[in-house]
Amino acid sequence: MIPIPQDDATRQQMLDEIQASVEDFRGVPGFSVLRTERPGSAIGAHAGIQDDVRLDRVLTRMRMQPTGAFGGKLIIVCTKLEQEWRIARLSGIRGVPPKFIDTRVFADEQSAQAEIFAMRLEQYPAEDGMPEHCTPAWKARGENWA
Amino acid sequence: MTDMYPALLRLTGYGSKWSVEQGDSIDFFVNCDGPASYRAELVKLIHGDTHPSGPGVKEEVIDSPLNGTYPGQPQTIHAGSYAVVLDRRPLRVDSFTMQCWIWPTMPTKVDGYWSPGEQMIMGKWADGRGYGLFLDLDGRVCLRINGQTLTAAEPVRDRAWHFIAATFDAETGCAVLYHEPQIRYALDPKPEPVEAVFTERAAHTAVPFTFAAHPSHTEPDGTSLQPHGWVMTDHYNGKIDAARLCSRALTRLEIETMKLGSAAGMDERRGVGPSAELGAAMVAAWDFNLEIPTRTIVDSGPYRLDGELVGLPARGMTGHNWSGTQVSWSADHREYGAIHFHDDDVDDARWTVDFTVTVPADLPSAVYAVKLTTNEGDEDYIPFMVRTPLGAPQSKIAVIMSTTDYMAYANEHQASNFGSLEALVYRTPIMAPQNIFLSVHREYGYSLYDTHSDGSGVHMSSRLRPVLNFRPKCDSVITQAPWQFNADLHLIDWLIQLGYDFDVITDEDISYDGLERIEGYNVLLTGSHPEHKDGRYLDAIHAYKDRGGRFMYMGGDGFYWRHTFHSGYGRGEITEMRRCESGIRPWQAQPGEYYHQSDGKLGGMWRFLGRDMAAVSGTSMVAQGFDVSTYFKRTPESDDPRVAWAFDGIEYGERLGDFGLVGGGAAGAELDNVDTTLGSPPHTLLVATSAGLHTDAYLTVTELILTNAPGHTGTQHPRIRADMAFHETPNGGGVWSFSSISYCGSLSHNNYDNNISTLTANVLNRFAQDGPLPAPDASGIRTRGRFESTPALNYHLPEEVGSG
Repeated sequence: MIPIPQDDATRQQMLDEIQASVEDFRGVPGFSVLRTERPGSAIGAHAGIQDDVRLDRVLTRMRMQPTGAFGGKLIIVCTKLEQEWRIARLSGIRGVPPKFIDTRVFADEQSAQAEIFAMRLEQYPAEDGMPEHCTPAWKARGENWA
Repeated sequence: MTDMYPALLRLTGYGSKWSVEQGDSIDFFVNCDGPASYRAELVKLIHGDTHPSGPGVKEEVIDSPLNGTYPGQPQTIHAGSYAVVLDRRPLRVDSFTMQCWIWPTMPTKVDGYWSPGEQMIMGKWADGRGYGLFLDLDGRVCLRINGQTLTAAEPVRDRAWHFIAATFDAETGCAVLYHEPQIRYALDPKPEPVEAVFTERAAHTAVPFTFAAHPSHTEPDGTSLQPHGWVMTDHYNGKIDAARLCSRALTRLEIETMKLGSAAGMDERRGVGPSAELGAAMVAAWDFNLEIPTRTIVDSGPYRLDGELVGLPARGMTGHNWSGTQVSWSADHREYGAIHFHDDDVDDARWTVDFTVTVPADLPSAVYAVKLTTNEGDEDYIPFMVRTPLGAPQSKIAVIMSTTDYMAYANEHQASNFGSLEALVYRTPIMAPQNIFLSVHREYGYSLYDTHSDGSGVHMSSRLRPVLNFRPKCDSVITQAPWQFNADLHLIDWLIQLGYDFDVITDEDISYDGLERIEGYNVLLTGSHPEHKDGRYLDAIHAYKDRGGRFMYMGGDGFYWRHTFHSGYGRGEITEMRRCESGIRPWQAQPGEYYHQSDGKLGGMWRFLGRDMAAVSGTSMVAQGFDVSTYFKRTPESDDPRVAWAFDGIEYGERLGDFGLVGGGAAGAELDNVDTTLGSPPHTLLVATSAGLHTDAYLTVTELILTNAPGHTGTQHPRIRADMAFHETPNGGGVWSFSSISYCGSLSHNNYDNNISTLTANVLNRFAQDGPLPAPDASGIRTRGRFESTPALNYHLPEEVGSG
């Protein structure tokens, strides 16, 4: 199982890659951790997770987490149409809404993608899904992982 | 600050119709929770995408008597399904035996759950008076007579059948409660009955005998629009089967015999019970396996204590005795005696009417909405489509608004319920205020992409409730852009901007009115994602195409799932869809539950019912991905004289749609390709494609993967592509397939001056002309085989050569 990188250099490299994607996708109604032919365009996807296989697998492991795992999955909430976005945490419980995790307000819809990745590097354990992590919860299919 | 939300969505509403004929009326229902009043005005909707790179929201206020200020009132949805048998003398038993099978799906509830509390199974009980069987907060069955409670020793097991029975002897006060799991694992405790002596007999009130909920009070609320004024509480999640009520305390052996129910026909005298003695004690024996397509539960006992279902519980459900020998309730109903109730079922919000609008006979057919606002900044829209009278088109062009799809996606909860949505969309989803509101207000009900609170799939959707993603100014968590209704406004806007006259019709109109609704148009245009359709719709479209009609398939993943409308409700109000063993499924129906309760026929993908998608639209769903979109490039077949006219003004080498409001390109989200083995006619011309240009977020649809093996992502598989295609239909008709959900999002780029706009206009102008399309050159008339383009396959389908 792919571990979450713990060393600063790898983490920074991954963050830089995501941040570069954020810059390319500013103004685009869509997002991926990829570079494009020019900022503001979705066309010509290359680099990013198409080249960095480790980043792709780490991102997928994070993205497959259940809604309530490890304190709740981070998500973006648009609080003011086309103007303001904030980061919240899913509850995993029907009827309990996501809760904002801080007071930061982002002025574009892509920026929080990189912030959430940075937060998840701390949120999720380096190792997971290995035999030593087996719990009784593994005996029934849960949501995605776990 | 960190855990507070602004007051979200204090203003919500719905209309009684989504499609209204000129001259007819619609009722509007508004929840205004806070402000003392709100303003309503009629607007024509043109464009609802708020993204700054597009033309922005466009709407026009229409003069109307409805425009004005109205007093606000909060209105609540009472979710949860149940059955109600109105109070009758035989139900006012002193001594009794109640028995049934249950398959509970949520015996206990987590802290914070939106609908906490006990769960009523069956009985005649409210506010501490009456008799009933419940699940308590610990998941144990209990008998309650007034406030006296007798509780089983052990909790029930989730998703397992249990036989339960309770007897009460009013003379002695002796009560016995049986709780007998159908399956007993090696380490399960031995089920034993429990007994008690009660000092009180059941106090009888006017409340109905109910299943899966009980009234909140012993008197109906005369102001409530809930059926008969009874407002319910303590909803049960799970199945109930073979419920019986007798008027004396039966022995355990008699209870066993009473499992047979009325068992008429056991002798020539047609006694009502399984034996003469038991027949004399029988009050009611409800057989939920009868009249499954209706809202009625049938009592086979002597008093005809039939009941009414409220809230659309699931029927045609396997019972405690399902053997798997038959998998359809219509083949043998006897093993389908269960109804599955949910605390979050919704059939009708049943709100008070705020105002009624009569649509003027001369109001042009178009997309409209009642726009609601308050002085405090609240806003909502209640859209509806205005159609012409049947058989009286007012334009040569008609746009089909995908109302069945809007219902299928109504109030979807994927972002809050479905953790791996993030993997599916390949980025962190962005929730809108509507998504947050729905994550709390579960009573607003679900989409067909959701599961109920107990994990079972949602297979019916009602439009008689506020549908918060059937709105302009609404992005989807799936695409970070408009989806369905708001995405279809991309097309409406383009047609208006380019000056086309067109009528607007809906799925519902085609399904209910048939061919007459569409045969007067020269060309029909679909929306961006016409995925969910009923058979009558497909029949009408097929007949239209065969008679020379022209069909522009403006989207992707069309004609995929089979729907039926529930005949127990009004025109187009309730749609049903079951997800079976194929197709991209956020849930899957349980074994034996693939057949629609609406009509007893198999549900699932149209493909596996012998109606290939491409046979309708020319191309067939092949892949989906939701991060970003890309463009098309022309193929050599685009120069064929049969289609070259479509590319007037477009150079061969141009990138078609390397821009757009959905993912940034015209080819994206869900993609269709030409496949002559899956319904594309052999004479189809494949004129442009996006092959090789998609990201790894795009994966082959599950039904095309026979063996799970790597290689099915966008950068690895050449079949992951949108194919633009054309084919002629008989009598001068034709089909043009754009084959991508994101296509219409590219129409407005560069002030509508772009190659997608040019191409679309070329096709529309050709298709909208009067009379048959020009006949192709005689040299093109010849027999073509389905495998003509792939001779190396030697007539083998991929399924047959095992290519996976």
